[in-house]
Amino acid sequence: MRLSIQKDTRTWKWLPFSSLFLQHTVSDTGRFVVLTSAKPSLTLNDLLSLGQHRVWKRMAVSWSGAKMGDQVLDLCCGSGDLSFLLSEKVGSNGKVTGLDFSQEQLSVASLRQNMSLKTCYKNIDWVEGDALDLPFPDGYFDAITMGYGLRNVVDKYRAMQEMFRVLKPGSRISVLDFNKSTQPFTASTQEWMIDNVVVPVATSYGLAKEYEYLKSSIREFLTGKELEKVALQVGFSSARHYEISGGIMGNLVAKR
Amino acid sequence: MARASFTILKDAGNGLCKTLSEILVCPLSKQPLRYCEETNSLISDAIGVSFPIKDGIPCLVPNDGKIMEADDTPKTDDSVDSSSTKN
Repeated sequence: MRLSIQKDTRTWKWLPFSSLFLQHTVSDTGRFVVLTSAKPSLTLNDLLSLGQHRVWKRMAVSWSGAKMGDQVLDLCCGSGDLSFLLSEKVGSNGKVTGLDFSQEQLSVASLRQNMSLKTCYKNIDWVEGDALDLPFPDGYFDAITMGYGLRNVVDKYRAMQEMFRVLKPGSRISVLDFNKSTQPFTASTQEWMIDNVVVPVATSYGLAKEYEYLKSSIREFLTGKELEKVALQVGFSSARHYEISGGIMGNLVAKR
Repeated sequence: MARASFTILKDAGNGLCKTLSEILVCPLSKQPLRYCEETNSLISDAIGVSFPIKDGIPCLVPNDGKIMEADDTPKTDDSVDSSSTKN
């Protein structure tokens, strides 16, 4: 079964609910979603997001415009989910640099890389660094992704400035995070899910503290419109914030 | 402890992938870094700071940097405060 998805916010919003049961892939243009019957084993992120985080991340990678042979950067890479997806996109002639503040997370990412049977993952390098002071030259990367990182940096404007600096002209950033919705229904649905799904599941894994801060963190975050405004102020030529999954998640796409 | 995987471009004995060492710059001065084999670290000559490499992963958070003596050996007691070294 194939679905043709037009790039408007209404359709993107309702897209990934079926990923509860079926695996999705998103084409390079981000227009089609192909449903297959294969489903990999569940992780904590699967439980917390009811399986949808995999689709959100594939969408984020598609929106970044990363393609074969590209040099790409994954900021706040954590244990590497987005980096591994980018690795498959850029291939052995391309290069992925995964940057994170935490040596621990990078060790996990490195372990996953070494344990994987996929030889294409050899094109990923891990760097411990600060999103506010990136250790890369100007105009170097063909695409940049950031998953669930922007909300946690202390200076969003500076983080965007650094992303702009290290990005090649004409290239894009794709920033996936929780959406701070201006719609009361969406905001309360999101808070309900955090209170009744995320925190209880995380608690059973001994991670209550790591997730209890989420609600206040989202309230202090910027709305989609505000993120677009900051991107344009920093110097990006265009910025568009897409709401996905009924508006509980959002993805900022900005072009230098 | 897991070790980072090295690409086929890694020089023998180099603690860092060759292509990675070519793209990295000092997070503070944005100037090129120099790999020091003796200490397995990346040196920022522009500000006289060395950054360690742990398990093949370069540590380039500004606070990871160590101010170097004039004779190029990194001191272990001091660390870099990004607010004091930024231009």
